[in-house]
Amino acid sequence: MPTTVDIASSFIEGAPPGELADVVADVKALTADDPSVISSIAPAFQRYNEQQLATVKLPGASQEVVISEFNKLDDGRYFDVESSTSFDFDHVTQKASNAQSYVLESKNEDLIKSLLKALGKHASEHYPSCSYGVYPTENDSAVAMVLVANRYSPNNFWNGRFRSVYQFPVSSSSTVTGKIQVDVHYYEDGNVALNTTKPISISIPSLSAESVISRIAAAERDYQEDLNRAFVQLADGAFKGLRRQLPITRQKVEWEKVGGYRLGQDISGGKGR
Amino acid sequence: MADAQFDSALDLLRRLNPRDTKQNLQAITSLVPDLTEDLLASVDQPLEVRRCAKTNRDYLLCDYNRDGDSYRSPWSNEFDPPIEDGTVPSERVRKLEVAANEAFDVYRELYYEGGTGSVYFWDLDDGFAGVVLLKKGVTPGSKSSGAWDSIHVFEATDRARMSHYKLTSTVILHLASESSSLGELDLSGNMTRQVEADLPVESDASHVANVGRLVEDMELKMRNLLQEVYFGKAKDVVGELRSLASLSETNRDRATHREMIMSMQR
Repeated sequence: MPTTVDIASSFIEGAPPGELADVVADVKALTADDPSVISSIAPAFQRYNEQQLATVKLPGASQEVVISEFNKLDDGRYFDVESSTSFDFDHVTQKASNAQSYVLESKNEDLIKSLLKALGKHASEHYPSCSYGVYPTENDSAVAMVLVANRYSPNNFWNGRFRSVYQFPVSSSSTVTGKIQVDVHYYEDGNVALNTTKPISISIPSLSAESVISRIAAAERDYQEDLNRAFVQLADGAFKGLRRQLPITRQKVEWEKVGGYRLGQDISGGKGR
Repeated sequence: MADAQFDSALDLLRRLNPRDTKQNLQAITSLVPDLTEDLLASVDQPLEVRRCAKTNRDYLLCDYNRDGDSYRSPWSNEFDPPIEDGTVPSERVRKLEVAANEAFDVYRELYYEGGTGSVYFWDLDDGFAGVVLLKKGVTPGSKSSGAWDSIHVFEATDRARMSHYKLTSTVILHLASESSSLGELDLSGNMTRQVEADLPVESDASHVANVGRLVEDMELKMRNLLQEVYFGKAKDVVGELRSLASLSETNRDRATHREMIMSMQR
């Protein structure tokens, strides 16, 4: 039997893009008899923020930086390479504070900075609004790249998120592995969700930032094209196979005849086929 | 307090993944057991199928043909597991229910070309009410699958030579696709719409035709709506998140276009 903490945690981690605050309000109302629940599910907020690549504005900055498992420091603070800043992050309120200068220490510093530049160029070509980051990982033997694009339109009852996470070991020949995830939520007089996960594995011939990012850009383009084709295939395939738009006769049902013919018989009930 | 919690529960179910509504509903009711009855009555879930032991035909289960732990078959009018004094419709309304089941069986064959359907009616003080259920699943290949559940609840209130119908319809549509190039895709959800109408009633047979037409029109409208949201809106939002075309080229083209219009206006 799951505990209140388990249940509340799963609700938090299941929050759709841009609707965490709404889900928190609902969870608070449903656990009103135990006001300690929200503070006791802090780990769920952290998992949500790191997995969903939450974005946050640093104090005094205009651009948003990403929260992920890759830019977390040992003391629980997070860092941003581009602005050379580390900061505290409140996982429940999603606010940053106490920003300090942070110098990246990595033997791959040059690669990371050129990847940041190339990723930024790619991002500005294809994402009207997004945040991204490049960080050392695996004890500085590998590099992780994350990108997240959000569009929230709660007044029109839809929100969306595109996320990608890539990692590759820094060695002469390498393979980039990762995944792209797209989540869309539409909730006007209903609740419709699109959730996709596409695993990525691309071999890269050289470790130049340009060639890594151009392979990633191609994989993202291919995926978006595959996704667009999948919408058409589902509409023409499974959706049509479920319910026809009109009967094969192209005529609507003649209810008087259907009902009249049947009602003319004795309908005392209990008849099988 | 209870009202506020009920609203929060509905809001939460409208936000969390619709694929997991059943588990989330269970989780909410384990947090607040008092909400169980009200939530079960107002949250639509994919319909379960049961075989009628007497007629060997499948029927659909919902809150409206349930009495305790037993469900009434529309084909035999009997409860499974059997119970004494289970709630059944009056003789007149049962006759209507039988006629509606036969009519919607034709409808189901014409529109769904398979699947399962059930209609349940019950008596009201000034008329009657009912629910029309339709369910179909497809697995056309290993690549994609789909499931459709229609739940149409209506009330028919008697007026002189007329009847006032109030219809609330929910369609639960689940689609999924999987392949090496696409990875995993899940497109699931539910949409609800309402309509009211005053329609002439000459005899009881008119009720079946009136409800039939209302449901038929509603399903056509909802099928179009689902098509628009599932394949239009979802794709558009993805396109707003990520642009296939290069944004700098798109912006350049727009600027050129603007200049052209300006020069023509001069």
